[in-house]
Amino acid sequence: MASISDFTFFMLSIFLLQVSDWALFFGRFHPVLVHLPIGFLLLAALLAIGKRFGKVSIGNATISLILLVSAISATIACGAGYLLSLGGGYDEEILDEHMWQGIGVAAFAWVAWAVQSDFIHKKLPVSRVVYLPALGLATILTMVAGHHGGSLTHGEGYLTAYTPEPFRGLAGMEPRREEITEIKPIANVQEAVVYQDIVQPMLSIHCTQCHNATKKKGDLRMDSFEYLIKGGENGPIFVAGKSEESEMLKRCLLPLEDDDHMPPKGKPQLSDNQLALLAWWIDQGAPIDKKVADLKADDKIKPALASLSEAPADSKAGGSQSTESPVLSLKVPEPDEKALASLKSLNLLVNPVASEQNFLEVSAVNAPEFSDSKVAVLTPLAEQIIWLKLGDTKITDAALSEIAKLKNLNKLHLEYTGVTDAGLKNLEELPYLEYLNLVGTKVTDAGLQGVANMKTIRNVFVWKTAVTDAGIAQLRQARPDLNVVTGLDEAAVAAFLQAGKGDSSQVAAKVKK
Amino acid sequence: MNNLLKEFQHAELQRQTRRHFLKECGFGLGAIGLGSLLGSCGTSGSETAAPALPDDPMAVRMPQFAPKAKRVIYIHMAGAPSQLELFDYKPELEKYHGKDCPAEFLEGKKFAFIQGVPKMLGPQGKFAQHGQSGAWISNYLPYLQSVADEITFVKGMYTDQFNHAPAQLLMHTGSPRLGRPSLGAWSVYGLGSENQNLPGFIVLASGGKQPDAGKSVWGSGFLPSVYQGVQCRTGGDPVLYVSDPSGMNRDIRKSTIEAINEINRQTYEEVQDPEILTRISQYEMAFRMQMSVPEVMDVSQEPQYILDMYGVKPGDGTFAMNCLLARKLVENGVRFVQLFDWGWDTHGTSASGAIEIGLHDKCRESDQAVAGLLKDLKMRGLLDETLVVWGGEFGRTPMQENRNGQVLPFMGRDHHLDAFTIWMAGGGVKKGFSFGETDELGYYAVKDKTHVHDLQATILHLMGFDHEEFTYPFQGRNFRLTDVAGKVIKPVLA
Repeated sequence: MASISDFTFFMLSIFLLQVSDWALFFGRFHPVLVHLPIGFLLLAALLAIGKRFGKVSIGNATISLILLVSAISATIACGAGYLLSLGGGYDEEILDEHMWQGIGVAAFAWVAWAVQSDFIHKKLPVSRVVYLPALGLATILTMVAGHHGGSLTHGEGYLTAYTPEPFRGLAGMEPRREEITEIKPIANVQEAVVYQDIVQPMLSIHCTQCHNATKKKGDLRMDSFEYLIKGGENGPIFVAGKSEESEMLKRCLLPLEDDDHMPPKGKPQLSDNQLALLAWWIDQGAPIDKKVADLKADDKIKPALASLSEAPADSKAGGSQSTESPVLSLKVPEPDEKALASLKSLNLLVNPVASEQNFLEVSAVNAPEFSDSKVAVLTPLAEQIIWLKLGDTKITDAALSEIAKLKNLNKLHLEYTGVTDAGLKNLEELPYLEYLNLVGTKVTDAGLQGVANMKTIRNVFVWKTAVTDAGIAQLRQARPDLNVVTGLDEAAVAAFLQAGKGDSSQVAAKVKK
Repeated sequence: MNNLLKEFQHAELQRQTRRHFLKECGFGLGAIGLGSLLGSCGTSGSETAAPALPDDPMAVRMPQFAPKAKRVIYIHMAGAPSQLELFDYKPELEKYHGKDCPAEFLEGKKFAFIQGVPKMLGPQGKFAQHGQSGAWISNYLPYLQSVADEITFVKGMYTDQFNHAPAQLLMHTGSPRLGRPSLGAWSVYGLGSENQNLPGFIVLASGGKQPDAGKSVWGSGFLPSVYQGVQCRTGGDPVLYVSDPSGMNRDIRKSTIEAINEINRQTYEEVQDPEILTRISQYEMAFRMQMSVPEVMDVSQEPQYILDMYGVKPGDGTFAMNCLLARKLVENGVRFVQLFDWGWDTHGTSASGAIEIGLHDKCRESDQAVAGLLKDLKMRGLLDETLVVWGGEFGRTPMQENRNGQVLPFMGRDHHLDAFTIWMAGGGVKKGFSFGETDELGYYAVKDKTHVHDLQATILHLMGFDHEEFTYPFQGRNFRLTDVAGKVIKPVLA
């Protein structure tokens, strides 16, 4: 026995001499090793209870062995835990408690083993009295230490963060705060407060998961301006006015493979635009209350600022996937062959949208005679058709009640058809409709206001309709996220031509010189 | 008995002529070719058994993911416009104007014409920022300024070729040598054609000359020739000899073509050469085009203010007219429209090749139409799914050209492969965005460098294809547009 303690001590002393990669290497096995004493001790406790009630017949030697391995593994886990703590970045208070609880587990496990063993028992018969309390304490401490360990790793409150109502209210916990997972577009960038509206939302998504009140990695909190200025264990994280000397930015710009890179590899990364904005804010003195308009915006930052008013394109990894319509993530069954054939017999073009999906694009580009009476052929493919082009066909409002059954419709072309306001009403419930082309139809302002009820619509085209500027303004008011595209009339074309000409005369003058 | 058998074998062998051999081979090879053609139809293969006869080569193959750009208008300014006059604003270069080019720019470099130590040439355009996005566009392109917020500029482009023909081939086929399919051919091969009465890939050229690389820049290479670009004329008959000869009515024409195709079909069944399918479909297409092409190429039905927006008069055959036709073609479901405009090669050897005159004139001729095209596509709801690409085959030097060591009479710039600008708009790219940067003098792309293959990978990505998976087997290996290089420029994707 002594030899094992000696060995442990020997190993420890080696590590302590060089708190280095080795220390952290073994330290990181702590989360693996701790599960051994947990298991063994619970098993020992279970067997002890079973034996007490006479349900289990088991020899002392077996229990003794289990206790011995519990004590050994608990001791090793303690050592590894200590080495891990040298890496830093944990809440001191919880860490301290966790450490003593862990040591307690090991100590009581040794005690329980010792008094259980025949050797001590013979010499000191009374010692059996402490056996059950020691085992009990060791088991309880295991659980407490385990919980604190979890809090250290995942942050305090991790266990109960998702407590559902009504238990939440009963336990007197605050209502759960909505996590920010996506940066919302800013309507008026010039009026946005740089820190509050641009910088902090960025930090909330990318940084505060590990740098918050309960989990202060590197002793750094980034959840409010004061803490941001305070910095972490290595001092301030930015130098106001000098982004190039700011640790926060340097870390972000390190190669992804670098250990010091932030956010850590595997976590969502800041986009180039976000980094540019962060650098810009620091360069401008990192003010807390200044608006975009108050700061000097040079040419380089303008595209990044402009990107704030758009829906986030690259906040998610992969970039291209983020603007993907949600309909594309649905799974639909394979289209019915007969239904496909009947579409093709009407000269409709039926194209698969992508492999490994069963969605279809249907186009009447070769079927200008397509009309209301034929529209029912689409219904058997209601799940599959997501893009439908019926522009320049003979359909009218009557077709739209049938088209409304195509529940996964994402893009709908109705340009130069007979549809009117009345027919559009049918489309309001389509849950995935994003694109609606009404160019050259008889749609009026009244119909356009109905478009505001289409929850998912993003682009609507109303050139050459009866829609008025006032109607468009009203829709834009109701749905600022919606892109209403009208077209140029003769006056607008004339203005466009004039604008271009003004500049050209300058060039011409320069050339003559 | 033994002798008799030998004699029989001998006779049998004698009967096998070379013609028989070739015919058998032809069948065999044809079948192999067909097999590979069919095999390439589905990316995942097996779930659908190979159809017996691919009677419609224009059917869509599977895009690997949902396409953002279903159609492309590729505007190639042949000769290579100067990025330093139009988009890549370099105030620092102005300061060096007239000074000797630094030695490090010349060491180990080869230019098409520059010799010795040339002088630096400052930007000739007057630059300002435009739109919400603050895009730099010079006063050479006043109309484009009005649509700046629709555009993604790629300013860190570079290429491998500094002569027009190979650079154009690289830009359109992924290789500087002949024999590869063009981007348009790949697109139609992949996505098929929408309008059964029009070719899926149409080419319109202007500027008085064909591109230096010839028709290979819209060729089909080793893809079946049905995928090659069809060049239409912009004045007179859009396609020569497509109308009926005098004295032959459409019914006779129809029965003639049917008869020819029937014979071709029999030959195909015999020898299985996929090129016969091409021939059959071209005959059928030509017949349908007799009606459809004059209709789609006729701009007389367009309202006057639309003609004004592009700045065209009916039948003038200019680049502006081609822009208008491009809109009409994509509106009618043509997959890929390639515009070539010749005359952007501004060396400074003559007035028409001078930056301050020739380039300026080319800009004036084309600017309004390009801006008009973007506006027109947008208001029709077409820009969302149509990708517009604008660019040349390489860039121009920040140095003034000194051909034969002489001072040229006009301002000009030599061919330059280390930096140029292209732009894209519409189908799946960001609006009002700029990607990539060059150094202070505009000599090298330094940030977010984009090779021609990267651009091609991106365009294919927008059309729903993974450029590494989208291949065609030829001569024993799978070929792709980007050969063994290229990566998608994710930051420009919307």
